[in-house]
Amino acid sequence: MNVALLPPWVAGLAPLAALAAAMLVRRAHVRHVEPQPWWDAAFVALTIVPLAAVVAWPGALTPARAALAAGLSVALLAHDPRDLPQTEVALKITWVLAGAFALSWAGDALLALASGSARPREQWPALALALDPYALWSAALSLSLLAGLVLLGGAPFHFWPADLFHGARPHLAPFVAATLQLAGAAWLLRHLDGIASFPTAAQLVRSLLTLAAAVALAGGAATLGYQWRPERRVGALVSLQGGLVLASLAAAPMRIPFAGYGGLAAWAGHLVLAATGASLLSHFLPAAAGPAERPSVLFRRHPWTGAVGGYALLSLAGAPGTPGMFVWLDAARTLADLRHPGLLLGVVLAWLAAFGVAANEIRRGFGAPDGSPAPARSVPRSLRAALWAVGAALLGLLALWMRRT
Amino acid sequence: MTAPRWFVPASWAGAVAASLGVALLLLPGVVWAALGLELVALAFWLWARSLPDRSEQLARWAWLRRPPTALWLAAALFLALPELRHVLAPVPLPPADATFSPPALQAAPPPMARDPMLLLRTMSSLAILWAGLELMAALPLSRPFPDLTGPARPVGAWLTALLPVTGFLVLWRQAGLWATAPLAREIATLALMVAVVLASLRAYGRRSLTASLRWLVVYDSALASMLVARDVLPGGIAALLWLGAAGGRLISLAAELRGKAARRGPGLTRLWRLAGWAAGTSLAWPLLNEMGFGGGRFHPLEFGVLAVPVTLANALWLKRVVEAPERRAMARPEDRSPRVSRLGAVATLLAGPLALAWAWWQGFEVSWPGALFAFVPPALAWWPVRRLAPAPGSPPGAPLPGGTRDFALSTFRAVTLIERQLAAAIGGVARALGAPARDLHSGDAQEYLLFLVGVAVLALLLPVLR
Repeated sequence: MNVALLPPWVAGLAPLAALAAAMLVRRAHVRHVEPQPWWDAAFVALTIVPLAAVVAWPGALTPARAALAAGLSVALLAHDPRDLPQTEVALKITWVLAGAFALSWAGDALLALASGSARPREQWPALALALDPYALWSAALSLSLLAGLVLLGGAPFHFWPADLFHGARPHLAPFVAATLQLAGAAWLLRHLDGIASFPTAAQLVRSLLTLAAAVALAGGAATLGYQWRPERRVGALVSLQGGLVLASLAAAPMRIPFAGYGGLAAWAGHLVLAATGASLLSHFLPAAAGPAERPSVLFRRHPWTGAVGGYALLSLAGAPGTPGMFVWLDAARTLADLRHPGLLLGVVLAWLAAFGVAANEIRRGFGAPDGSPAPARSVPRSLRAALWAVGAALLGLLALWMRRT
Repeated sequence: MTAPRWFVPASWAGAVAASLGVALLLLPGVVWAALGLELVALAFWLWARSLPDRSEQLARWAWLRRPPTALWLAAALFLALPELRHVLAPVPLPPADATFSPPALQAAPPPMARDPMLLLRTMSSLAILWAGLELMAALPLSRPFPDLTGPARPVGAWLTALLPVTGFLVLWRQAGLWATAPLAREIATLALMVAVVLASLRAYGRRSLTASLRWLVVYDSALASMLVARDVLPGGIAALLWLGAAGGRLISLAAELRGKAARRGPGLTRLWRLAGWAAGTSLAWPLLNEMGFGGGRFHPLEFGVLAVPVTLANALWLKRVVEAPERRAMARPEDRSPRVSRLGAVATLLAGPLALAWAWWQGFEVSWPGALFAFVPPALAWWPVRRLAPAPGSPPGAPLPGGTRDFALSTFRAVTLIERQLAAAIGGVARALGAPARDLHSGDAQEYLLFLVGVAVLALLLPVLR
């Protein structure tokens, strides 16, 4: 990972802050059920530590470890059989990932058969000798990349981030999403290692990734407005982040995306922070209310906390003045520098859709005051503290990125 | 983290946001302009959500997020793309004293071959143009908004006139970014010509003076934007001419809402009538000259299309600004409205001619026939004043039988109806094309697996078909 612009310890701070927020969220959810709510929250946070470690050091991910991380994520989702929505999400993700891994491993096996090596760096020079038919290695290459595309969650595979944020608990969903998307990026990067030595394959990969990125951005932006619940809209925004990784890879298949801002570690750190805040906020947003409805309890009792949650949502959408803006800008500049006008247009249109939906969500959250007294029951303090922790971490990230650029 | 102890009323919060937004529009950067328009839209949202009919008001002003979105699009493209000047800057001319040498004749590559990003640069310029035009009611989607009062009750009738002001500020301050793009000047001229004609017709068709004044602000802003778009005068002078004309209407609109302060007494009324006419004439005169006599020859069509609304708008001003009936036996001595109104009238009277003098000082020149002919349409406006002046006893602004107002009204309605139907048809096609995306965002696990298999088959076929 290229962390030349950031000190190495910074990459670990964002997952730490997100982990603290996750513990606070868990604490808010269990306070009426468990006899020792803080112990329970700390224990649950401990189970997320491996995912946080993946977010902090994505460079350690190999294809095998990526599959392992995906398996761990599914196991965490499925650990509580009483939680039916979360178990259903685990089932859906397992169902899709198992198929994707099976197809990609079949592609890997075919590539190994054609080149005589299982290492990507050794495969390309062997394939460049043109001893094997084009149809064989090209089909094998396409299949081998499929798991990476599914894991990144860009459209048309954007259903799993939406399902995840809709069904899974808010302390877990952001970590699972970031882990799976990092696994997808690592899968693609490892499979493309050394592909420059075989220009025909590099050209084919560039075409495939361009097509996948275009579909991810256009499809993600188009379906963003059709999501019927705020949690699913957060999931769709997370899927657009996968589209950004794809777009960066399509422009430069062998370059680590977002290298100018700390690489994938910093990108995933921002993702997990922004998604935590946005996911928490989405539980207080009206599902189907019009813009003239009165605001929910968070916005009536604690409007500043609601504004902090709105900042996280805006950062996920890449709105100006948020750290997310740098992520989107980096992808756009990469595409501009490498002359990809079509994908650049896709990134800009997806950004506009994301920004518009996020702004609309915040407006709906604040609603229209009708003069009625605020509800007596307040939002749990630990939940509000989680939102403030996420907001502070995002502001820190913004300051760091602004100073570094 | 608890509820704030202090509470800012929506009216104040909106006023602060709107003021800050307009101030940001005066800055040169497109990001500041986008932020400014976002603040203006926020102000309207804050005002609208605090009203009893909030549902209707929020829906009515929801379109105000479109112009800032267009500016954000432009800002994003300008930030992402390399320096703009390499593509859109004019070709540098040799110094005046250099020896003339004929240019070498060689086939130029098509623009897209020179720079693949040209399309995106053009798009960003057109996005700025879109934002400015939409705020000036020069695009079909927002055309009827000056008919409506704004969402803040005490100043609502005045507030709507703020939007064309923001539109002009966007086009004026960002002219360097949009006016040099291919086709931008032509598109702007066409849209603004239509806006000028429709605004003058609508102003003429409305019986209420406040509504007419709002449409006249649209008319003034569109004329001034044409000065910027066609580069008739330097931007600062065009802005000063606009300030005189539109500023005068805004002052008189505010005065109208404060007890018809611009029409109290015969002297003040005459002063306002002259000031508005002078400011409007100063604004239209250089444009009429350029449109009618630009390039050293007469363009009858352009001159005619512009002359009619100019005459109509000036005649309307002279006809409508009539002395208000005084219901009070004695004026209150502490009432300073007439003095302030007189001051506004004098400023309006002086702004236009002074701006033209400044332009002349800076080298603006017109031919004598062009100058005279360009003065005719606004001068003609004095003629119908006596004929259209209301008969004694009839209320001011009453329609004449079989009148031209009906014609103006029906023309405006027909055009806007066609525009709305066209926009609805385009929207319907877009929705139909996007409908499959609705089914893409959910499903059960079995469908996901089938979908995955489908994509895998596609992945197998794509390289072979490539």
